[in-house]
Amino acid sequence: MLYEPPRTSPTLQGKHLTRTFGQGETLTTALNDVSLEMYPGQINLLMGPSGSGKSTLLAVLSGLLRPTSGEVFALGEDLWQMTDRQREQFRLRYCGFIFQGYNLFPALSARQQLEMMLCWGEGMNRREARRKAEEMLALLGLAKKASLRPAEMSGGEKQRVAIGRALIKDPMFCFADEPTSALDWAHGEQVVELLRAAAHERGATILIVGHDARIIPYVDRVFDLEDGCLREPEDITAYPPGGRQSHGPYLRSVQ
Amino acid sequence: MSYSLATLWYERSRYLPGVLAVSFSAVLIALQCGLLLGLFSITSIPVDHTRADIWVGAPGLLSVDVNRPIPDTYLARVASQPEVERAEVYIQSFAQWVKPSGGAELCIVIGSRLEDDALGAILELTPEFRNLLTEPGAIVVDESELARLGISGIGSTGEISGHRVRVVGFLKGLKSIAGPYIFCSLQTGRMLTRLSSTQASYVLAHCYNPADAPNVVERLKNMPEMSAFTANEFSFRSRMHWLLKTKAGIALGYAALLGLLVGAIVTSQTLYAATAASMREYAVLQAMGIPRWRMAMAVLSQSFWVGILGVALAFPTVYALAGVADTMGARVILKWWLLAGAGGVTLIMAMLAGLTALRSLRLVEPAILLR
Repeated sequence: MLYEPPRTSPTLQGKHLTRTFGQGETLTTALNDVSLEMYPGQINLLMGPSGSGKSTLLAVLSGLLRPTSGEVFALGEDLWQMTDRQREQFRLRYCGFIFQGYNLFPALSARQQLEMMLCWGEGMNRREARRKAEEMLALLGLAKKASLRPAEMSGGEKQRVAIGRALIKDPMFCFADEPTSALDWAHGEQVVELLRAAAHERGATILIVGHDARIIPYVDRVFDLEDGCLREPEDITAYPPGGRQSHGPYLRSVQ
Repeated sequence: MSYSLATLWYERSRYLPGVLAVSFSAVLIALQCGLLLGLFSITSIPVDHTRADIWVGAPGLLSVDVNRPIPDTYLARVASQPEVERAEVYIQSFAQWVKPSGGAELCIVIGSRLEDDALGAILELTPEFRNLLTEPGAIVVDESELARLGISGIGSTGEISGHRVRVVGFLKGLKSIAGPYIFCSLQTGRMLTRLSSTQASYVLAHCYNPADAPNVVERLKNMPEMSAFTANEFSFRSRMHWLLKTKAGIALGYAALLGLLVGAIVTSQTLYAATAASMREYAVLQAMGIPRWRMAMAVLSQSFWVGILGVALAFPTVYALAGVADTMGARVILKWWLLAGAGGVTLIMAMLAGLTALRSLRLVEPAILLR
């Protein structure tokens, strides 16, 4: 069954994206004419073998890495026509990020990690930021861990704090790079559930980059990237019982 | 608690070298300056601890302890000034003290009038001491100079310029650098310094209104073969002579500057390393659009707190070391403005070190998180 996009405008579009690294004999093409669209309220999974260009595509779509050619439209704005400052402000207002290694400040408690995003990002006063941080931590099941520092938390708890940090601004987009790779599946499942809730309940556009096929049942769409080329995006609701079948790689142009 | 302070406390072992470096700089600057102030006060003791408003001596005077004899006829020149209430002669000269057990020590003989209104008598000379000093050959010395003079107590004797002298009392807080002060009467002073009865080292004067002293000095400067100073001018001149001509001030100032440089380098490297260690965390913040200037403020805030903690640690250390120096005979004067100045300079140094640590923030690139 061919994928049918929802009847809303895409919030994120990548058009004919190419990204190369190096020059001459060392030239490497990480992305090769990749085009895709994502919609609000959907959780998307970008899969592919190591070195397929997944992280590069995530970096290009999220405004962290300039493509060699191509365009990225986020909420109708051409991301790579913006100045660095404008892109930074765009990310501040609309984007949340979750990375593989938590990257939490070791000296700060879970509450302070979230407060910092609100105080530094939105100029919120400490009292209000604390209230919102505690709300988010309660939502994440970490109400009793608010005063703990990363060294006192499990891997799953740390990643949930990282998710809280990404979502506390209620962003339109959330980009997650291998969010479950350092976790056992029990904790990984919690993480994916939280991201799924952010998409379905808050209307965010979520993009997860990962290898973990166990995530597939939780997402709305799967993108396959191989050698820098995108395969047909799949609507997983079309999977027959028993799982998805491999259809072989081919390019699809999105007009 | 601010995020910067929380980080400093949690990772205190990482920031400790920076705090200690700041503290080291502050201690060094405060102690060096305190030693300078102590030196200041010692070199100008004869001027600062007497009642004279005006000092008159030979031409080209550099310091109170470096003088040439003048004829006591200068007394009339000074006393004839309408603003001058009274004037007197004063003797100060280097001499050789021969210890009772043998050996010699340079000393500074100070001979003055001993009356109650004497201008040249050190303020610490009580009426009792001045009475005892009327005995020819009687002297009073500072109690800290016992070892240098090789004497044991009151009644001890020594020899200066072939004349036997006897210690009749001790003073406190009048330690000298070049040689122990030997306080005595004018008569004893002439005997010990071999000045004739028509010679003196200085003429001292007191004005009816001390505010007139500068005008009198200007007038006296125009007279031939003499130099004149107000007490403040002569005190400052004497101190500056010791500092600059003897290079002692330059040496101490250079050491203080080096201490500041060492402190700056260590603090800068500590903050740079600490910031670099949190590179990935800062990269996440930058990925989420937190402006660089916010992160820079955090780094500078850390450098501020490192400075504050270092300076706070320095103050008790300075007092402790000053006490140790005092027992070793080196006077350290710690005025509040000196401590505030040393603390302020060191804090500025710490903040500047924080600025150099910001260069590690320039290396922050969110894309590294995706490699």
